[in-house]
Amino acid sequence: MVFSQLIEKLIQETTTSSLPYFGAELCLSVTIVLMLLVRLFNADRWLPAYLVAVLGAFAALWCTYSQSAQLNSGSVSDSQTFFGGMLIQDLFSVYFRVFLSLFVLLTIALTALTGIPDIEDGPDFYSLLLGSTIGMMLMASANNLLILFLGIEMTSVPSYAMVGFLKGRKTSSEAALKYVVYGAGAAGVMLYGISLLAGVLGTTDMSLLAVRLSEAAGGQTAGLADPEIRAVTLGVLLVMVGLAFKLSLVPFHFWCPDAFEGASAEVAGFLSVASKAGAFALLVRFCSALSGAAGTEDLLMAFGVSLGVIACITATFGNLAAYNQNNLKRLLAYSTIAHAGYMLMAVSAMMVMQNSGHAQLYQVDIQKSVEGLLYYLAVYLFMNLGAFAVIALARNYTFSEEIDSVKGLISQSPVLCISMMVCMFSLVGIPPFGGFFAKLMIFAAALKAGEIHWFMYVVVAIGGLNTVLSLFYYIRVLKTMFLDERPAQSRAVPIRLFSWEGSFVAVLALLVLLLGTLPRLMSGLSATANAAAHAVVSQL
Amino acid sequence: MVGETLRNLLMIAWLLPLAGFAVEIFGGFWGTRQSKLAAWLAVGCIGAGFLCSASALVIWGQSNGWAALHRGGHGDHGAAGHDSHEHDSHGGAEGHQDPHSSPPATEHGASEVNSAAATHLLTVAPAVSAAAGMLIQEPVAADASAGEAVSGQTVFSGTIYSLATFGDLQLSIDYYIDSLTLVMFTMVTLIATCIHLFAMGYMSDELTEEYVDHHAHLSNGHHVHRPGRFYRFFAFLSLFCFAMLGLVLAGNIFQVFIFWELVGICSFLLIGFYTERKTASNAANKAFIMNRVGDFGFLIGLMVLWTFFGTFQFGSTYAADGSVAQAGLFEMVHRDSHGKLLTDAATGDVIITDASGNAQLKADGQARTIPYYLLVVAGLGVFAGCIGKSAQFPLQTWLPDAMEGPTPVSALVHSATMVAAGVYLVGRFYPMFVQEVLLTIAYVGCITLFMAATIAVVATDIKKVLAYSTISQLGYMMLGLGVFGWGAGLFHLITHAFFKSLMFLCSGSVIHGCHHEQEMPKMGGLLKKMPITGLTMLVGVIAISGLAIPGTPIAFSGFHSKDAVVASALGFVKANPGHFLLFFVPLLTAGITAFYMFRLWFFTFIGKPRDRHVYDHCHESPAIMTVPLLVLSVFAAFCAVGGEEGVLYKLITGDQPAHIAEGIAGGLSASGITLPNAHSIHAPSESGGLSIHAQAGAWALLAAFAGALIAYVLYGTELVNLHEVKQQLSGAHSFLMNKWHFDELYDGLFMRPSHVIGKCCAWIDRTIFDGILHGAAQATVVVSKWDRLFDENVVDGFVNLLARATYSVGDSFKTIQTGRLRQYVMFIVVGVVALFAVLFSTFPR
Repeated sequence: MVFSQLIEKLIQETTTSSLPYFGAELCLSVTIVLMLLVRLFNADRWLPAYLVAVLGAFAALWCTYSQSAQLNSGSVSDSQTFFGGMLIQDLFSVYFRVFLSLFVLLTIALTALTGIPDIEDGPDFYSLLLGSTIGMMLMASANNLLILFLGIEMTSVPSYAMVGFLKGRKTSSEAALKYVVYGAGAAGVMLYGISLLAGVLGTTDMSLLAVRLSEAAGGQTAGLADPEIRAVTLGVLLVMVGLAFKLSLVPFHFWCPDAFEGASAEVAGFLSVASKAGAFALLVRFCSALSGAAGTEDLLMAFGVSLGVIACITATFGNLAAYNQNNLKRLLAYSTIAHAGYMLMAVSAMMVMQNSGHAQLYQVDIQKSVEGLLYYLAVYLFMNLGAFAVIALARNYTFSEEIDSVKGLISQSPVLCISMMVCMFSLVGIPPFGGFFAKLMIFAAALKAGEIHWFMYVVVAIGGLNTVLSLFYYIRVLKTMFLDERPAQSRAVPIRLFSWEGSFVAVLALLVLLLGTLPRLMSGLSATANAAAHAVVSQL
Repeated sequence: MVGETLRNLLMIAWLLPLAGFAVEIFGGFWGTRQSKLAAWLAVGCIGAGFLCSASALVIWGQSNGWAALHRGGHGDHGAAGHDSHEHDSHGGAEGHQDPHSSPPATEHGASEVNSAAATHLLTVAPAVSAAAGMLIQEPVAADASAGEAVSGQTVFSGTIYSLATFGDLQLSIDYYIDSLTLVMFTMVTLIATCIHLFAMGYMSDELTEEYVDHHAHLSNGHHVHRPGRFYRFFAFLSLFCFAMLGLVLAGNIFQVFIFWELVGICSFLLIGFYTERKTASNAANKAFIMNRVGDFGFLIGLMVLWTFFGTFQFGSTYAADGSVAQAGLFEMVHRDSHGKLLTDAATGDVIITDASGNAQLKADGQARTIPYYLLVVAGLGVFAGCIGKSAQFPLQTWLPDAMEGPTPVSALVHSATMVAAGVYLVGRFYPMFVQEVLLTIAYVGCITLFMAATIAVVATDIKKVLAYSTISQLGYMMLGLGVFGWGAGLFHLITHAFFKSLMFLCSGSVIHGCHHEQEMPKMGGLLKKMPITGLTMLVGVIAISGLAIPGTPIAFSGFHSKDAVVASALGFVKANPGHFLLFFVPLLTAGITAFYMFRLWFFTFIGKPRDRHVYDHCHESPAIMTVPLLVLSVFAAFCAVGGEEGVLYKLITGDQPAHIAEGIAGGLSASGITLPNAHSIHAPSESGGLSIHAQAGAWALLAAFAGALIAYVLYGTELVNLHEVKQQLSGAHSFLMNKWHFDELYDGLFMRPSHVIGKCCAWIDRTIFDGILHGAAQATVVVSKWDRLFDENVVDGFVNLLARATYSVGDSFKTIQTGRLRQYVMFIVVGVVALFAVLFSTFPR
């Protein structure tokens, strides 16, 4: 093929299929450019950056929504790679794009309400926010190990800057520095893992990983005795370490409490949900890309169970460490760690069932485990953002994020307290809030996986135990808010229900409630999640 | 088309009061206490409902060419052909007096052709379908299943709204519209409108911010002061109308049950309207609880029906293509042309059939059956509900106490409509009742009508007399239904509703005029003071007594309907001589009825005023109260013109259950009751003498005249010293005054044993259980002391240890997380290396 023909073909492919699939990312990119242009022409006095950002996020949401409608209507094939096989377009990636667009929209709304980036810094902040979101979208649609790395880095680098965005505060800068160095270390480890995988298997295309792994095993059951398999196993482990950093799994969570404490509550909320969602999308893609080839079942089953072990440790550690925290953001950072543990249980269950040797038999349950994860993420979006929003809004009046600053808040702002209560009960997993059903779905998946490996029963038991453990520190916050007297010298928090701030958190809390009580909404979400799950696990 | 129009009209009539209720109860609460707006709203709602019902009746009649009026009065199509023709013109001529149900005279001729066809259809259809083995309750409805509106269709059923589906069980809001439904709708809405208007005058005392209740006392002896509750009264009335109309419109027995309970709660609210009065709240409780006793039976009936039939619907439901999706209850119990149930030859169980009369098969090919005794149980169960609602023996004692409610309530709820709901349900559910159940119904009715009438003789409270007379008349209706006089019983239901509501309103007018004096011994001679009330009352009294001028067609409504009931009873007794009491008791009671009603009238309106004070302050009621009286008195007098050949009777029986026309010869079981067909009652006897109907009518009239005469002698003249009579009959008098000691009987039978059992339970509780509990408590205290030691030292120690461990873990991480970047990076390395170690030691080789 002549080079010019190759170029011709590339241009053809890019313009006809790749760019439409990349619409949401393009929207966000254009928005970033627009925002910078607006400031260049000094127009940001009358056109605040958050408006541009909101418009961009809306455009991205609309774009992804039309993509999902297209996929659902069946006018395009279910799963299609683009940009030369680097990215993949299916319901799974579209689900995450919708999720991320919606979330970034809500985050922008929250920052506009709290005014955390002032008018001067607005374009910078929103550029970082949207850039980070583009990275997460890349993570969700990665079909290549290099894009995996690129996505993580593209997410992380703006995050570092956002954590350190409160320039005047020492803790903020310190947290950013820790985050950067830790992130760099983890990235190095992961890149090494990718090089091992690519070196041994001869490809970075994720859709080929399973087949190549099976070939490397040479028709026998893969084991560590084989040096090639040993190298691949190390590679997989190192890639997972990189992901574990993003997911803040124990023992790679050290950055998380520090970064959250240093960052503003809005940024912490964004990181806790969005980067976690992107990382889980990658983890699911990576795990299911590896799984399913003949001869590798035992090895990958061991990985699945290991994920279960890590999940248990992470959940338990997160919950216990949250006990004696007095900073609300730090407390929620540990809670975030614990929730990553819960969600990892779903991935673990998926991997165990996929590598049971009877994957066809468990097809429905595999889908259900991923569905549970996606449902959990959706509920987690609202409940965690709600909790962080309450902290951010209260901080604007009390200038503190310590637990004592919200003492007896019920007397001044019932809407904040009740929203917080709904979010926290949902985080614990108490019916009838959304968190209960999300947790239920994940535990059900793990229970089903227990038929294959006994350890998954232990995972379920520890998950249940952790729910009890987590009650303590969540209730402690609620007790402080509801039962304690508001100290006389404390600053007033005059947030009413019928104000922008009040209605924002009330809507979030209402959604958390509806996701556990409104059957239409719940079945709609779970059907969507199931379709997305089908897209990612049916590639076996 | 017609079906939809009817459904929509009746739904409007049904739902308007509900909307009214919602507006009144909230609007009234926020509004002022002096506003009459709630009342006007309620009147508007129910009045519009009446217009809807009346036009529905007219539309229904015109759609089938008034087939009901043209058919032979008693289903005796062939034999009485000549007769029926004569009656037709008769009915048409008299139609003018019934403004809401008659066909326009000019159309009479034109519709003759249509109706001839319709009549033809009606007469032929049963024969054809019987031959095909598909004699179902409404032959024409089967045609409608094809989807086209057949001009002769008279029964419409369908689903309005599906509530829920549990497995096979469909719970839905259905409608079942036939002639009975329409007549009931028109009657209920008309009477309710009149009573609403009347109540606006009667309840005007409540239009105040501070109402003083002279019958309710505080512990310090003062009267109760409270805000007026005018709006609340009308809100409850509206709610009641909604519930009552829903009951009538209901297309399945479960829906009936729902609205049954709703009217029950409305009755509770209205009886206890003066809730500060101890008597009123007691009476409300009594009514509610006694009705629950009956409803217990109702529920059992429902369970049996559901278990064996699997549906609650009366009529069939049709699939989209017009086929029968689910046969209704009435089609599932199939009767052959002799009225016999289809039974399994081997077991004697009743076979459950589909809509076309063929046996339904189970999965194993066997026919679905229901044991005969369970059919009896189901019937008795449903009837038990009716006993409670219609205050029949032995649950009759609540109704007199219910007179504690305001008089308009007594008129609407406790005489004309709600208590008649029991009778209505018996009529509606008739196809499901087997002979044994009917016999029970007849005897219950018979006992009730006699007992209540005797008590009414000695009652002195004007409303109590009417209450007992209501019970007695309800007994007549039940008796009529029980002796296979389906039309007669329901005919009496309608006529009674008119004259009894009239009389209650008259008594209300008297009470209002006499400033809430209800004792007749304090009245007398009121006719001069309140002539309209007195004369309209007289109309009602004549109507209920069943007086007529022999040999002429001049008679008020009660004569015709009571005549029909007594005639049915005589027909039944002739066929089953063993049950002779079923004729003689009502005959005797007809005399007693006339006696106590005239006693009431003479006592109240004639003679010398017995209490000057009451007499002097007495006044005629305002027009808003007397106009409803006049309207109702017209209906009370003339609604039944023509008797069983008249418009009303024919309308009611237009869609009567098919097996009634034929009668049933001999029963399935040993009792072998013969249920005569209607024709035999009217046919001249073999010896060429009077027909059964004429005989019974003559006897009843005689008894009524005798009763009225005695009443006149005793109370209208001063020939007899009443006091002496009372002295001489003191035993009987006190027995009757104590209402046959039913309250004492129930007290002894249920209350005292309950108290004794309660005391026993309390004793057991106190000595045994409390002893155990106290012992346990003491033991617990001892154990808990030890437990506390254990807790504080061991458990708390452990928990504290755990907590301390947790805290120290956190603290240890705090010490780690001091911000030393080198350490952090080192932890990555340590973590990865540790994972390597784990991986190499555990992963498969």
